[in-house]
Amino acid sequence: MSAFHRLPGKTKVPACLLGVFWQDFRATLRNLAHERTALVHPGIWLMSNLFILSIGSGAFARMTGINDALYELCNHLAGRSWLLDNLIALPLNNQFIKAAFLGGCFFAAWHGHQVDRNRRILLVSVLASVFVIATTKTLSYAIFSPRPFIQSQKAFHLEDNQLVESRRLPYRVPLDAESQKMYADLVKGDVVQNDLHSFPSDHAGFYVTLAVGILLASRALGWLAVSWTFLVLLGSRIITGRHSPLEVVVGAGIGIVMLLLFQFVFDKWWRRPMDLIVNWTLRHPAIATVLIFMVIFEASNSLQDVHPLLEIGSAAVKHMLHVTP
Amino acid sequence: MKQTTASMRRTSFAAGLAGALCCSLGLSACGVDQKGIVLLTDPSYRATMIGTSKDGFTMPDGILWRQGKLMLADEGGSAVRVWSHPHDVKTLCDAKLGIHSPEDLVVDGQGNLFFTDDDAGGVWEVDASGRAFQLAGRDKGLVSTEGIALAPNGAILVGDGVRHEVFSVSRAGVVSVFLGSRRGITKPESMAFDDEGNLYIADNVDQVIYMLGRDMKLDRLIQKRENFSPEGIWFANHVLYVTDSKHGKLSRFTPEAGLETIAVFGGQLSYICGITTDDQGRIYVSVQDLKHNFGRIVKLERI
Repeated sequence: MSAFHRLPGKTKVPACLLGVFWQDFRATLRNLAHERTALVHPGIWLMSNLFILSIGSGAFARMTGINDALYELCNHLAGRSWLLDNLIALPLNNQFIKAAFLGGCFFAAWHGHQVDRNRRILLVSVLASVFVIATTKTLSYAIFSPRPFIQSQKAFHLEDNQLVESRRLPYRVPLDAESQKMYADLVKGDVVQNDLHSFPSDHAGFYVTLAVGILLASRALGWLAVSWTFLVLLGSRIITGRHSPLEVVVGAGIGIVMLLLFQFVFDKWWRRPMDLIVNWTLRHPAIATVLIFMVIFEASNSLQDVHPLLEIGSAAVKHMLHVTP
Repeated sequence: MKQTTASMRRTSFAAGLAGALCCSLGLSACGVDQKGIVLLTDPSYRATMIGTSKDGFTMPDGILWRQGKLMLADEGGSAVRVWSHPHDVKTLCDAKLGIHSPEDLVVDGQGNLFFTDDDAGGVWEVDASGRAFQLAGRDKGLVSTEGIALAPNGAILVGDGVRHEVFSVSRAGVVSVFLGSRRGITKPESMAFDDEGNLYIADNVDQVIYMLGRDMKLDRLIQKRENFSPEGIWFANHVLYVTDSKHGKLSRFTPEAGLETIAVFGGQLSYICGITTDDQGRIYVSVQDLKHNFGRIVKLERI
């Protein structure tokens, strides 16, 4: 009797869909690797993936015990060693740690073997990452879900128009200065609105999109990027209580689904415009490298400098047009 | 071939929509979306929902506890109502009188209720017998009335957000300037007297709480604070309570301890407006959910 047949009846449908998802994922990877058109119908592919995502996240949320237990296990590392906590907190705020490694992997893949194929995949990945961050930001704006460290405080949440006392998550405060200040602010009641909308993790969606994009272009570099993303960039966010494992998993799931969708669409229907861009980068390597450096620099910084730049630009235009004094 | 491509695109689009629907249904059904919270910075309190729009009001702004009942300036419903129990809400006056957005209210010792209206302007009264009328209108310079307070001498003080002034209105409807625009108050959103006769004025444009002493000296009591925008103020038991709709905070101020946050309201509960307390020191706040056009009243009491 196979493992599938031994599963309880209720879990067979999700397991079957998970199998479809995994088969699709592998088929897509295989097709991308062999420069062939994906065999799966895009509708079935997209639906099965999104369905799996919702079922998976729903099941995970239902099993909040597992989610909370995983989070508590990770957070248990914090608050014991000043040095360890500062090392763990580095990827949260240090742009070099955050961006340089992924950026380096990206550039190595950009200039590596099978240049035209790799560049097409990488360009599509960057494009997909912008859409991923827009999607995760929109979702997190619509869904009210405070960060785990906030759920360590006494709170009441809405349930059928009644206020019900929430389960308090245990929280070990990391010993780095930023986390200490953040917790002190929380105790004083200074809560940033962004900290009340942490589902799904936009960092997970964004960085996983880039890392898996690199993986599609170059296996060796890709595994480095994926490992760095999960173990360093996202692991630190769970340990320090910024995100729960569920938020990271769903963010990463959205990233992977959208990346594969973009790769499929650009491979199937919009290959020609992408080939034109790739050929241009091959004819003008210097300027292309400068441009892609700028894009990757900002992309690896999760586009956080774009908004202030746009604000300054908008203010400058208004100033020149004498709209404001 | 073209037909096949178009069909595939349609199928993809439909599948995308179905997938997105599945996602949102899955997430909402599994309780990931907590909708709204009250985070208690002072853990000695507990929060309870005592009323919602389902009881018969829309979105109250100013509220006032009086003799076991809550008077509501129902801004969203263009009415002034009295809440006694869930499903027991009585309307004192509504849009038929000419009011648009009742903002804040006070009740005197004889049971006469006075309220402001920031859209219709003026000061309005519902007397003890239940007769509702306009006491003084726009023609007397009350363009967009906001905060209201009863002075110890019986005069009704009314703040105007357009004129940037505080007016004194007599029971006969005579209007005079109490604090002129030169005093620098931009929007007197809410006002409250303390036991010693000092008047507190919340300005949610300049983000300041003023204190006007009995000697008419105007001091900036709370100012230049990060994440601070006073919406409603209420004085009781030597404590000045402050709601901040912009940052979803309920705070208290005493000269000894300064400004302390009691609770942070988030999600559908973040827009907290009016505040009042009862004889036992329980705090009531009105919450407006502008997105869903839904109002709530939350009670905070010590455990």
